[in-house]
Amino acid sequence: MKKENIKWLFILHLIILIYSINGISSKMAASYDFLSKEWIFFYGIVIALLGFYAIAWQQILKHLPLITSYANKAVTTIWGLVWGTLVFHETITIERVIGAAVVIFGVYLVVTGDEEITGKSDSDEPSKEVSND
Amino acid sequence: MINKDMIVFMIIMLTGTFISSIAQIMLKKAAQREYPNKLAEYLNPLVIFAYAIFFSATFCALYAYKVVPLSLGPILEATGYIWVAIMGKIFLGERISKRKSLGLVVIIIGIAIASSRALLGF
Repeated sequence: MKKENIKWLFILHLIILIYSINGISSKMAASYDFLSKEWIFFYGIVIALLGFYAIAWQQILKHLPLITSYANKAVTTIWGLVWGTLVFHETITIERVIGAAVVIFGVYLVVTGDEEITGKSDSDEPSKEVSND
Repeated sequence: MINKDMIVFMIIMLTGTFISSIAQIMLKKAAQREYPNKLAEYLNPLVIFAYAIFFSATFCALYAYKVVPLSLGPILEATGYIWVAIMGKIFLGERISKRKSLGLVVIIIGIAIASSRALLGF
């Protein structure tokens, strides 16, 4: 993998971590009345993060393929488990952890399945050729 | 016993993810185009409409989180991979390999495992 790609993957994960706060804010806003002061405060954070994500994501897509970018977002499942436990004291059941692990494995297959098509090409464009299994 | 409330709120969250996936495809389409300047990259109908969809999707998530736990929300959002793969194939001509299809099925299984207890309420 190119140094440039590693750099953009790191930036992507930093963006995803910041964006995962969106879940906390959404869940907080959901516990208040629609358009109450608290609701507006937390929804404001949601929208601000969406704005941040808007600009960041558009730049990411220029450097990484959509499926790679989108696949790496799988870590939000881990952030969801972490924030759910730490902030909302949700009981994390074994099947939820296993489910999250299975989802991440599925995402890994999706990503590597993508490489199967595009080969080792660094190009953003999907290759017209199909590799043999 | 099946938790009917949970099913309804989970469907609301899944709907938000589905419409967000449509927006994702629109953003990729927009990113593939050439623009005369930086401003035009963001201020064009495709990008603006995509973000209008994201904006609507925030209300789906917000409403769903009244019932859906935060630890389950992002797992349900993983359905986005399935929609993006399908729509990527249809609208962007991106191929879905065997391995990728298998991955998509594994994601569905993972989501089913993770939400089993919340759905069935045992």
